[in-house]
Order: sequence, then C-alpha cells, then structure tokens
Amino acid sequence: MQPRRQLLLAPGPGGPRPTAPMFALLLLLALQGAAAAPAGFAGSAGSEDSGWRQDPELQSGLLQQAARAALHFFNFRAGSPSALRVVSAVQQGRAWVNSKNERKVDLVFTTERYNPEEGEERLGKCSARVFFRNEKPRPAINITCTRFVEKSKRQQEDYLLYKHMKQLKTPLDVVSIPDSHGHIDPSLRPIWELAFLGGSYVMWEKTTQFSHYYLAQLSSLKQWKTNDNAIDFDYTVLLHEFPTQEIIPCRIHLVWYPGKPLKVKYHCHGLQTPEEASGIEEGSAVAPTELSNF
Amino acid sequence: MRGLLILSVLLGAVFGKEDFVGHQVLRISAADEAQVQKVTELEYLEHLQLDFWRGPAQPGTPIDVRVPFSSVQAVKVFLEAHGIEYTIMIEDVQSLLDEEQEQIFAFQTRASSTDTFSYATYHTLDEIYGFMDMLVAEHPQLVSKLQIGSTYEGRPIYVLKFSTGGNNRPAIWIDTGIHSREWVTQASGIWFAKKITQDYGQDPALTSILDNMDIFLEIVTNPDGFAFTHTKNRLWRKTRSITPGSSCIGVDPNRNWDAGFGKAGASNNPCSETYHGKFANSETEVKSIVDFVKSHGNIKAFISIHSYSQLLLYPYGYTTEPASDHNELDQLAKSAVTALASLYGTKFKYGSIIKAIYRASGGTIDWTYNQGIKYSYTFELRDTGRYGFLLPASQIIPTAQETWLALKTIMEYTMNHPY
Repeated sequence: MQPRRQLLLAPGPGGPRPTAPMFALLLLLALQGAAAAPAGFAGSAGSEDSGWRQDPELQSGLLQQAARAALHFFNFRAGSPSALRVVSAVQQGRAWVNSKNERKVDLVFTTERYNPEEGEERLGKCSARVFFRNEKPRPAINITCTRFVEKSKRQQEDYLLYKHMKQLKTPLDVVSIPDSHGHIDPSLRPIWELAFLGGSYVMWEKTTQFSHYYLAQLSSLKQWKTNDNAIDFDYTVLLHEFPTQEIIPCRIHLVWYPGKPLKVKYHCHGLQTPEEASGIEEGSAVAPTELSNF
Repeated sequence: MRGLLILSVLLGAVFGKEDFVGHQVLRISAADEAQVQKVTELEYLEHLQLDFWRGPAQPGTPIDVRVPFSSVQAVKVFLEAHGIEYTIMIEDVQSLLDEEQEQIFAFQTRASSTDTFSYATYHTLDEIYGFMDMLVAEHPQLVSKLQIGSTYEGRPIYVLKFSTGGNNRPAIWIDTGIHSREWVTQASGIWFAKKITQDYGQDPALTSILDNMDIFLEIVTNPDGFAFTHTKNRLWRKTRSITPGSSCIGVDPNRNWDAGFGKAGASNNPCSETYHGKFANSETEVKSIVDFVKSHGNIKAFISIHSYSQLLLYPYGYTTEPASDHNELDQLAKSAVTALASLYGTKFKYGSIIKAIYRASGGTIDWTYNQGIKYSYTFELRDTGRYGFLLPASQIIPTAQETWLALKTIMEYTMNHPY
C-alpha cells in the first residue's frame, strides 16, 4: 500500500477547514506536485517511463469507474459505517495507458454522505489515483479525501451504532433490507450500514476497468457473539453487476469494532446456476474461503 | 375477543349510532364466592349499563365487563371498596375500534377511483390492471384499453390509448416495466396515465399534443416478470419463457429485438441476465409491440423507460456508428434533461447507448429507429446506485414528475417537427 499523501489532508479535528480558494490552491499544488515529483506519489511523473502514454480517448465512463472503485476502497479503509460516502460528481481527471493496456487514472471528485441527514447537502472532495490492471479486478488505489464529518462526531456516531447493534436481539430475524418497496426500518438502518461497509470491500476487490457494482440488497444475516465484544456478522448481500446486469450473491463475514480496522472474509457466487433461484439458498456447508486481512 | 368487539360494534350500529369513547373493559378477579356475589349485584344495576363479555361464574375465572364512560368511576370505587381485584384490559374501546378499522382499510382497500388510488406506493399487477379499467371508465372519451397480445404465461398485455379523435393520427409510444425489477418505471407509468387525463384541457402543451397526436402507454410491458418480482424474486429482470434445452428461464426483452440481434452486447447463455433468446422477437412480449408498431405505421416518437442510472439515451447500442440524426437527437436530449433537472435538480447524463452506458445489441430503440421512428429514446430513471432497483416509494412521485417534464419536451418537439 502506498503511503498517504499528507498535503491534502484537512487540518486536525477541531481545526478550521480551509476555505474554498485555499483548498483550490492546495489542490493545485498537490496536482502540480504529483506531476513534477519523481518519487512519493505512486510514480506519477513516471508517466514517461514504464510506457505510460496519455489515453487518447478518455471516456467519461472510465473516470466514473475510477471514482467508484476509489470510494469503495476509501469506505472500507475508513471502517466507519456512519461515515460512508457515495460519488457525487467527477470534476477533473486524466488517464494514461501502457502497452499492457493497463490504465492509470488521476481524478478529483466530490462525494456525498451515503446516509444523508435531513437537509444536509455538504459535499466532500477526494483526489485519487487508480491503477486498473486491464481486465483483472482489485485496482490499486491511492486516495485522500477531505474530512467532512468531524472525527469526534464520527466516532460518536459509530459508537452509537455499535451500541445499538449490541442491543439487538439475537438471533436476528432479518429477511430483506431494504424490503421490496425500498424501505429500511430505522431500527435496522445500522445493520444495513455495516453490511454496506463490508460490501464496499468486496465491491472494491471485484471492480475491474470494465465491471462495477452496486449493493442491491441484504438478503440474510446472522449475528454471532464474540469474546472481545466486537460485532461479528455473517450475511449475504446481492450485488448488482454492470454491464452484465447480473445479481451476484456474496456471503460476507465481517468483524467490526469502532475505531479498529474492519476484518472481512467473503465468497461470491458465479453466474446463476441452472436451478431456479427463487431467493438465494445458502447451504451451511458453504464457507467463506477468500481470506483477506484476517 | 376481537370477535366480541366487532359484535358490539355491530350491535351498536344496529341500535343506532353508538360510540364507545371512554368505555373501558375491566377484567375482574373474584377471589371467592362472596366476591362473585358482589359482582353479580352489579349486573342488576341497570342504570350502569354494564355489558358483561364474560359473566360472573366461579371464583378464579376472570369476569370481563365493558363499562360505559359514565359508569367507570362508580364501578371502580365499588370494586375497590370491596377489595375486589381488577385490571384494565382496554383503556378506550373506541380507539381500539378506530385502529382496527384503519387496519382493515389498509389491507383491503381497493381504490374506488383513480382519485383515491395511491400513487406513492408500489402496486401489484392486479392493482395496476384495475387502475387501468378505472381510468378508462372515468374518461371514456379520452382513454381506451387495447390488448396487443398475451404473455408467455398467458397474461393479457394491455396498452392505454389516449386520443381525442382523428384517424390513425401520428402517435407517441411510451413503455415502462420492460425489465420487471425496475419498479419505479411501472409506478411512473401509472402516474403518467393519470397526469394525462388531468392535464388535458388544463395544460396548454399537453392539450395541444393530444389535439394533434395520440399517445400509447404500455405500463406493464413484462407482466410475467412483474408478477414474479412480487411473488418469488424481487430482482427478476427477464421474461419467464422456458428455453428448450436449458433449465434457466427467461430472455432479456431488451436484447430480443431485430437490431444487431445476437451481436456483441448480449449473451447467448440462457442463464444470463442479458440472454438474447433463440431468435429475434422470440418473446411474445416483444413481438406484440413489433406487430403493433408495424401495423400502426404512424408512430413518430418511441420512448422506452428503464431504471436505474439517470440517463437519457438514443441509438445505437449495437454499433459505434453514429445514428444519422445523431446531432438532432443529442440536442433534443439535452433540452429534455434540462427540463427534467428544473424540478428537483436531478442530474441526468445523455448520449448514445454505446457511449453513455455500454454496448448492447438487440435493443428496443435501435429497432424502432431503424424502422424510421426518428425520436427513439430510452430513459434510465432514478437513482444512481444508492437504492438502485429498490427505490423507496417516497421517490415515485418526484421521479414521475420530473420525468414527465422530459417526456413533454420530447413530445412537443415531435409534434412541432413532423416528418
């Protein structure tokens, strides 16, 4: 993993946010720095070496693709279910391609909260570098984002979420979240957010230059007890895959404690088997096999 | 217990308008024979108007009694004075009755008119077909229902025709729900239908359109798939046809049209969500529209509505070659999405299918365009992935409202640019 670029981080908690012009200046300096500096930011000026040439037909689809992948990775790494983000708009981007048809994308994009509070319209901002390895999944990501929820507030919300889930009666009798009408009961919202957090890891790992994913639904859930009071979820989500339009069931096992890195294991199914799928039946023999950072 | 409650209500209704505001139901525990006796005495005090649901019997068996508001105090004082235990089973009988009524309505209510129909919720196939019939009945001069075919499983396929007369006037076609899991589209279709009947004679633009053209609206374009999303699998996309030689079901109706059929941009695997079918128009749901369009011969704009991604698309999907009317289509798309965004700020991108979304062959509007229907568009409605197919019902009406502005833009333009 590349070290984070410090320049773009907002001042520490409680400090003033840079004003817009100030931020623009920082960004400009950062991007210029990225273009000029030979080291540090992921071999940026090595645009000339390793056969990188500017992508002649930069498609806006590629920038969207890069933004989504980068944000899935960011959400996973932040490990904070109450601070999940979604892409709002790509503001600028450049791409390079090499002889192996791999692509490198630099971009700046805005984000919104995944779960926006009443009337809240604030946008966050991220800059990222994404390496797509042609058709291979798991793009390499370097991303920094402005902080748009105060760290202490985020920690507080995470902790409330954690407490709420600790109080849920196990075994949870959860069928589908959201339900068919797109409704999520407020008491179940934290479950959905935590499931989304785990799903972000999966979606990042599965994204390629050509495929991307959204989380369609949580279709089953089991909550386990742990010795160290962490939340231990064993659940199945349905991912919606573009461009194939397939619905991919993924069994995910995550362990989460506020402030600690998220641990995720998962196993996704291939193309629908010929058996009529009237729901996703999971045999208990199916065990998550892909280990990540356990 | 519920039965008794309803019985009281019925009796109340029979004996004239009785209401039960403030009435309480007490459960009395008589500890011994003497206490049972005391409670029996109460029974004889007619002015109290007590209604024993479970009369005094043995000690130990509960005695349930409905006490009118005016007697509540007196009865409680009596019981307490004699040390007879009781609990309040029902604090206010009327509230309970009111709640029950609401629940009954919530479960059963078939709207009796399109004015009481709920547009802000998702409906079943039966409810939508019922809505269509009501709309036709309410506006027989404007709306009629045509059956253009039957589905694989034998369901009727209906199209609403909005017409103020003429003979085979130039027409606009709108379809929703070709992919059954895209529920906001059928829901919007219902709203559009109602909107047309409301606005004719009120809104100058719509009135002008209908004075010159007809509108055809197919709300449930894939009824078998739609029924399946209600009963078995909310995320079902395709038709429900059986493919001989495979145990997978269904064909993607938006890959089954005769435009670049079978080329890259569709799958030949029956288990795939983009399976194109054994041959073009193999699906009756598609063939019905093809036959209708060909025999009508005067359709001037064709709009097929999907979700999600917030896009307005024009041909082609099966080739990178630009459509010959590319510039005009692009300009019109731009105006349409501008109109759409004017309402709630919802941002749509626009472009040809292959550029704006992905390569797709055998698609609806590629075929209609090649048939000579110049203004052929596909919409992808809200949202951009946050909820996806499971868009909360609260967004149905805003989605329909903003989309309608884009549709009107296209319809008006079509009317003003005859070809």
